[in-house]
Amino acid sequence: MKSHAFPLGRTLATALLSVGLFATQLAHADVLENIKKSGVIRVAVPQDFPPFGTVGTDMKPQGYDIDTAALIAKDLGVKLELIPVTSTNRIPYITTGKADLVISSLGKNTDREKVIDFSDAYAPFFNGVFGPADIKVESAADLAGKTIAVTRGSVEDLELTKIAPPTATLKRFEDNNSTISAYLSGQTQLIATGNVVASAVDERTDKRDVLTKFIIKNSPCYVGINKGEATLVAKVNEIIAKSKKNGDLNKVSMKWLKHPLTAGL
Amino acid sequence: MAYHFDFIAVWEYREQLATGALHTLGLIAVGATLGVSLGTLGAVSRAWKIKPFDKIFTVYVEAIRNTPFLVQLFFIFFGLPALGVKLDEWTAAIIAMVVNLGAYSTEIIRAGIQAIPRGQIEAASSLAMTRAQIFRHIVLRPALQKVWPALTSQVVIVMLGSSVCSQISATELTYAANFIQSRNFRAFETYITVALMYLVLAFCVRWLLNKFGSHFVNGRKTT
Amino acid sequence: MMTEFTLWDIIRNLITGLEWTVGLSLTAFLLGGAVGLLVLTARIGRFPWLQKAMKGYIELFQGTPLLMQLFLVFFGISLMGIDVPAWLAAAIGLTLFTSAYLAEIWRGCVEAIPKGQWEASSSLAMSWVEQMRYVVLPQALRIAIAPTVGFSVQVVKGTSVASIIGFAELTKTGGMLANATFKPFLVFGLVAVGYFILCYPLSHFAMRLERKYRGSSSH
Repeated sequence: MKSHAFPLGRTLATALLSVGLFATQLAHADVLENIKKSGVIRVAVPQDFPPFGTVGTDMKPQGYDIDTAALIAKDLGVKLELIPVTSTNRIPYITTGKADLVISSLGKNTDREKVIDFSDAYAPFFNGVFGPADIKVESAADLAGKTIAVTRGSVEDLELTKIAPPTATLKRFEDNNSTISAYLSGQTQLIATGNVVASAVDERTDKRDVLTKFIIKNSPCYVGINKGEATLVAKVNEIIAKSKKNGDLNKVSMKWLKHPLTAGL
Repeated sequence: MAYHFDFIAVWEYREQLATGALHTLGLIAVGATLGVSLGTLGAVSRAWKIKPFDKIFTVYVEAIRNTPFLVQLFFIFFGLPALGVKLDEWTAAIIAMVVNLGAYSTEIIRAGIQAIPRGQIEAASSLAMTRAQIFRHIVLRPALQKVWPALTSQVVIVMLGSSVCSQISATELTYAANFIQSRNFRAFETYITVALMYLVLAFCVRWLLNKFGSHFVNGRKTT
Repeated sequence: MMTEFTLWDIIRNLITGLEWTVGLSLTAFLLGGAVGLLVLTARIGRFPWLQKAMKGYIELFQGTPLLMQLFLVFFGISLMGIDVPAWLAAAIGLTLFTSAYLAEIWRGCVEAIPKGQWEASSSLAMSWVEQMRYVVLPQALRIAIAPTVGFSVQVVKGTSVASIIGFAELTKTGGMLANATFKPFLVFGLVAVGYFILCYPLSHFAMRLERKYRGSSSH
């Protein structure tokens, strides 16, 4: 009896051990390796943030971020799977492994760096406060008593929360769709967003002017990557550097931002 | 890669949570008072076929009960400004809640009114009670008494539903949750805390309405 | 890069959103019904601890906002290392939500069966399962149809909350279109019409069933 039970026990132990090993392997799996193996890269992109990501009449995302994602997928030789996200949930998408990369006009700050890693910058971005001609605002101090629409959790939100006077009211919305709609429908006096976003919206609507009041911060866009994926970060940086050099990224910039990439980027 | 729960990251924002909870209670207090009042008007118009209000209320009840609260809210907040009706997020939220609860309570209270036997009203009028007296004591109070539990449930449902008011930037409890989550990136801990807070709020509102019901609606107790 | 949406573009995309709403509603309602039946069985069954657990389950889902439930499913399951797309999180969340409400509605229907019938059937030496199968359920089922159909309206409307976790159903499509076209009044008006087209027939059907039942029982 005992001699029979022993091998069984050992098999069981081996099985358990290998399951354990498998599980740890899974946890430490290299995302870049997985991407190559599956032949698909899952990229979180915006669909409510022109010109970085907006929808066409077929509701498919299009824009600067999407074209950048396509550049990376092409270089890796894998299929691109776009996952439309909002600015509020784009970081959870990365931390919970729902996406491999987030290319969603994501700005860098210390809080975010605690949670995810960043690549080198791939697009310029200046956030600021915008509004109609008849509201006089030239600096953060002038925001006193004003209402400003802003997308929750965005760099604009975090900055304005720090610098706006206490009498200014920040109205935070779930996604850029709502933020822009709230401003255009007159629910707020001003809007805080990116400079190119403001001009893209301004160009597309005659409802309300979206003029620059002041620029808050130079906050270029980075690709967001989950913590502990050094090889993926290196690969993405390599591709970004290459596309900057060979002019591919410049083409994207000309197409969506209508001016060449600045040298500082 | 085991996930480490960090509830301290939520506790740091306790002030926002408390303010959010108070705002949610405020919304439902105003929403329930006005909503049930509107529902009473609707119920009487429909039960007694007061023209043209009975028809108007019928259309209103069907329109509201067959569309989601979130869409009603978006329509009021984002859509109405196109007609020149600009309402801030609190007004929009309260109007949406009143309109929503009004539709449901119209139907609930109407059932209560229709369950009152005609004979009682006839008897009361033969006792030379005025119309107002008959309405208050013979119709409304017994009707509300009968449907009070259903009305209580509906108020709780509307309070829980008010969590989507966060979407139009009304700083209620869910807004606080979303805000905190966008700052500490602790989505799970934040939402579980807030879900439990709603559970407590729902319990309190139900308890309060039961108390209120037995004191005011069920009238002076002989004991 | 100017993208002009014609009215047809708006309606066409809203119809796609509507299809997802229908799919999600059906999934949630059918799965929710199945889970609800299990919850009901445990809730009215003979194991006190199971009864208590199910009472807690129902109170939990009836005492917290659907939006919180969806957030927790969406972000909670991911923490366990399982990737849940928005549609699956929405389907799971709505299924749990539906099961709790349906179980409670059906419990009311079962309890509406007079106690005397339980006593009579147990005196015929029927087992609990037999009592359920031959005496209680056939009657409870008849009472349950109207409120169940009525609740399906709540499920359809509940799916709109799934838009907030990013599932592109009717409301989410509406939000995207409202921004892409800058016509929120028109778009949200059409979205409301879409829901009305789905919900009104269900409400109407539920009401007719209820009248029919009331009519036949009073005779």
